[in-house]
Amino acid sequence: MMNRRNFNKLVVSSFALSMAACSSITSVSIPKNKKRVVVVGGGFGGATAAKYLKKFSPDTEVILFEQNEEYYTCPFGNTVIAGMNDIEYIKHDYKTLESKYKVKVIHAKVKKVDGATNSVILENGDVYPFHKAIVSPGIDFKYEKGYVEGSEMYSPHAYKAGAQTSLLRKQLEDMKDGGTYVMVAPTNPFRCPPGPYERISLVAHYLKTNKPNSKIVILDQKKKFSKQGLFQEGWEDLYADMIDWRSVEFGGKVTKVDPIKRILTTEEGDVQADVLNYIPSQKAGKLAFDSGLVKGDWCPINTKTFESRLVKNVHVIGDASIATKMPKSGFSASSQGKVAAMQVARLLAKMPVMNPPKLANTCYSLLSPTYGISVAAVYEAHEDKIVKIKGSGGLSPMSASKEFRMQEAEYAVGWYKNQMADIFR
Amino acid sequence: MKKIALALICLCGISFAADYDPAKGEMLALSCAGCHGTDGRSNGIMPTIAGMGKTSMQKTLLDYKYGRKTGTVMKKHVKGFSDAELEQVSYYFSKVTR
Repeated sequence: MMNRRNFNKLVVSSFALSMAACSSITSVSIPKNKKRVVVVGGGFGGATAAKYLKKFSPDTEVILFEQNEEYYTCPFGNTVIAGMNDIEYIKHDYKTLESKYKVKVIHAKVKKVDGATNSVILENGDVYPFHKAIVSPGIDFKYEKGYVEGSEMYSPHAYKAGAQTSLLRKQLEDMKDGGTYVMVAPTNPFRCPPGPYERISLVAHYLKTNKPNSKIVILDQKKKFSKQGLFQEGWEDLYADMIDWRSVEFGGKVTKVDPIKRILTTEEGDVQADVLNYIPSQKAGKLAFDSGLVKGDWCPINTKTFESRLVKNVHVIGDASIATKMPKSGFSASSQGKVAAMQVARLLAKMPVMNPPKLANTCYSLLSPTYGISVAAVYEAHEDKIVKIKGSGGLSPMSASKEFRMQEAEYAVGWYKNQMADIFR
Repeated sequence: MKKIALALICLCGISFAADYDPAKGEMLALSCAGCHGTDGRSNGIMPTIAGMGKTSMQKTLLDYKYGRKTGTVMKKHVKGFSDAELEQVSYYFSKVTR
């Protein structure tokens, strides 16, 4: 039976409980007379958007949500895997965005961007209302054929940089001379189309120098790949027959993988790897799905403003967005971050959006520390599509001189330095 | 008076200068920063283009576009812009301090 004292206790404790529940959820309201833009995801797209928002609209409160305090770039990650650079080389942080550009950086995990209430909801329950949001959720993997979550601890994808980059580096270092490095390259579309093939080149450079009896097999899940002619010309020049590329039609198709034993089942028999670099097929990052921004695997957008076609006031940039003809690259994401920031700033100021905005992409790939190639293009964004401007862009020439390849290798490093400064400093 | 008019005509004939549209210039210049640094202030091997003279920058860009200058990727970028747009880009960087 409950006496009065117990009843009092119960009332007090349930009151305390409800207080606790209330105080653990904070709604951080928008400062008076201010506009607030939230940016979710601090990669190439998001960090650029945050910086440029403050550049275009200094009075707007810009909050960048990024769960990690440090960011490791995928570009130049392949130089780390090959031992040309330390992991520190690709590490960046958000301190300058805070101190110099007055971006508020909050290191917390976002649960969802809620279009119904125009607010960001964090995992811890905190709520941040906004006028506009720019979301750069990146990619996630499609687990397939026996490659499941956790498989990356044995057979790294190293397609999100950081710990995965270091793990693949370590496995490559530990591999015996005479071993086999196998890469499974994904189906289209995926992040950084030339990325897997640059990685193969630099792994070959490391093996040729340190473990010359080793070989490399690429089991490709597609028929052809980015800059293929240039890569294959370079591979022949630099690495003779060390690299065995098998297209999906000719022995490359993987039907099953054992990521712990590193065995791949193909239509032409099993392939045993000493190091298995399995890059799964891809889709938009989880946050995009949780926020209702996805149709199929990727996020449909109004290409002129990057506003989601599914959720009003939420703009989606970078690898997760459907921005064809632009490739899913870091440069593209950064270029999109600037255009989205510019259009959002104009919308907040009740100015007409820029029509049509121009965007660009430039991707360098290293085949060795002294051998670089590139692809570039300029784009124009209309309401429903992004078109490549006729006559613009193109690939490095075939059969170029050593000096030309050397110059592009130097430009690759120059690009990385300036691109990082343009985003983070 | 005739002399002044003549001088004016000559001046226009040389420059064909269009007016600067700051919003458009800034928008068109955005992607340059990816390689040349924010507002063209470079830290690396790419040249700093911040504060470059408008006329010389415009000439360089047009030289790339019409094959009078070779190089690696610049000739591929400039072909994505009209001559008038390249002029706006040149205006933009000429007005940025180094």
